[in-house]
Amino acid sequence: MAIKIMICDDEIDILDVTQMILEDAGFEVIAVSDSLNAEQIFLNEMPDLLLIDLWMPGISGDRIISSLKSNVAHTNIPMIVLSASDTGKQTAMSCGAEDFIPKPYDIDNLLDILNSHLIEKSNSKY
Amino acid sequence: MEDFLVNLPDFGNADLRLFAAALHASSNGVVITDHNQPDEPIIYCNNAFENLTGYTKKEIIGHNCRFLQGEDRNQKSRNLLRAAIKDGEHCTVLLRNYKKDGKMLWNELMISPIKNPQGIVTHFIGIQNDVTKRVNAENELVEERELLDEQVRERTHNLEESESYLSAIVETIRESLIVLDSELKILSANENFCSFFRERYQDIIGENLFKIGNGQWDIPELRQLLLNILPHNNPFEGFEMENEFASIGRKMLILNARQMTLKGKYQDRILLAIEDITERKAIEYRKEDFINIASHEMKTPLTSIKGNFQLLEKIAKRNNDTTYLKGFATAGKSIGRLERLIHDLLDVARMQSGKIQFNFEPFSFRKLIEDAVNVLEQSSPEHKISMTGIADITVEGDFGRLEQVMINLLSNAVKYSPVEKGINVHLSMLSGYCKVSVTDSGVGIHKRDHKRIFERFYRADEISERFPGVGVGLYVCSQIIKEHKGTLWVESEEDKGSVFSFTIPLKQNQYGN
Ligand SMILES: Cc1cc2nc3c(=O)[nH]c(=O)nc-3n(C[C@H](O)[C@H](O)[C@H](O)COP(=O)(O)O)c2cc1C
Repeated sequence: MAIKIMICDDEIDILDVTQMILEDAGFEVIAVSDSLNAEQIFLNEMPDLLLIDLWMPGISGDRIISSLKSNVAHTNIPMIVLSASDTGKQTAMSCGAEDFIPKPYDIDNLLDILNSHLIEKSNSKY
Repeated sequence: MEDFLVNLPDFGNADLRLFAAALHASSNGVVITDHNQPDEPIIYCNNAFENLTGYTKKEIIGHNCRFLQGEDRNQKSRNLLRAAIKDGEHCTVLLRNYKKDGKMLWNELMISPIKNPQGIVTHFIGIQNDVTKRVNAENELVEERELLDEQVRERTHNLEESESYLSAIVETIRESLIVLDSELKILSANENFCSFFRERYQDIIGENLFKIGNGQWDIPELRQLLLNILPHNNPFEGFEMENEFASIGRKMLILNARQMTLKGKYQDRILLAIEDITERKAIEYRKEDFINIASHEMKTPLTSIKGNFQLLEKIAKRNNDTTYLKGFATAGKSIGRLERLIHDLLDVARMQSGKIQFNFEPFSFRKLIEDAVNVLEQSSPEHKISMTGIADITVEGDFGRLEQVMINLLSNAVKYSPVEKGINVHLSMLSGYCKVSVTDSGVGIHKRDHKRIFERFYRADEISERFPGVGVGLYVCSQIIKEHKGTLWVESEEDKGSVFSFTIPLKQNQYGN
């Protein structure tokens, strides 16, 4: 079974290209553009990793992360912020995200980071 | 003694003679006039009188004393004398008299009647005292006092003028000013304070600052600051406070306060200046917002471009499709350049509004340089970068920002150096500082541009003509190094390559600004 990654970004162009990149790398991808649905979709799909933007209309990425992280069942799921904001790193760290990737990202760098978190997650499982 | 007696009038009594002898020896002038003869002729004068007036006895005896007044007859005391003589009474006056040589003397004259047993005045005795020195001294004193009074009047006038000058300044100044006493009662307030905070002058004078306007000034932090001023002569400056004022709404204020002293008058007053920066702050916020939005808006399409491009390149390489390899390489470089440019422009905007953040942390200096060299070796593998010198040291600084500087210097070196010639990075330690020099063998920089290339947008056309793609990176670098209390400079000659060097102190607080 493929590893499932959920991406949430209101910018359709970025959502699309990130989905293609991740699918090309062999992941199963759930792409969500409406942040207001993100939490519910996350709960339905239970992805292995969440990659999420910060500034989005409706609800911001950091609030979604803190809400999801407040549930103990999700503490093991890596949640990573992908943002063009300069203060993104601080916001990411304070909401409980595992990592921060600045936009524009580098494909190889993006995949390296995601993989290292997925490896860490699978190690901690057993 | 003989001579004496000859000159003495005959009083017909030996005891009286003794008295007369004593008079003769007195240092005051003494005259006796005969009241029973017409016009009070002098019948006796002592030696002192001669000395006093410069006249001799033979010029004196038989005359009325008024000859001493010379032409100066218009004196009030003359009337007093006349009246006293007429009424046979005692009197003391001050007169201007003139010596034989014409010199003026102030004569303090005392005359007393001598009466016979029947109470009829027979003689007058006059005692003259030369008080010229005293009167002159007194006059001088009066003059001096008048002069002093004049000066005081002048000073007061000046003071009044400078006070009105000052109050003109105080009233025209755009800041609100109030003067408080040690209990923080308002002693005075300028026009601006009253109009800005919509207070009536007469309502607030004498009131405690924290009581006016429904206690809207009663902010614990401000109270603490104000109460600290007088006991410790501890002024404060730039205290920013945001407060909701009932009459004027939410305002952002900046407060300065200091102790006021006027020698001898007071030393327990506080001058509080209040500046309204609500508008300025709003502009700052808008500017900041703009930078953040611009940053986001530029990075978003770039993220899509870069992602799509890298994905296409990756698939093409996987499929061994070499058709567009050159195109991919060029596009990749351009995307990198655009990314750096956006980054730099945003940095410049932030630096200008003072919004750039620095996170100072200790880190290995060598690692910083090696990381940057690695980045460049990956993006430009054809260039050889050598490292010399040692600096195995921990420094305090913003790793990310300093790495940005190193990458910038190295990419410039790569950009302007022919591939076959290498680039050298040299590390060294100086007293309390570490130094990095990046040497290239590129086109070099003319001396006149050595300073300009670090300036922001300095004749961008001219510079970019000679150094295409240099952008604003060097300006950003110099600002970053400045923030680390170091220096960044270049040594170069045209066609001989360039050496870009920077120094930073090992510890940030050790070499304070
Ligand atoms: C005893 C005696 C001594 C006087 N000594 C002086 C004197 O030293 N200097 C002077 O100017 N007048 C002196 N006078 C006052 C003048 O003699 C005279 O009385 C005065 O000038 C007023 O009078 P007149 O207005 O007629 O001059 C003296 C008067 C008397 C009676």
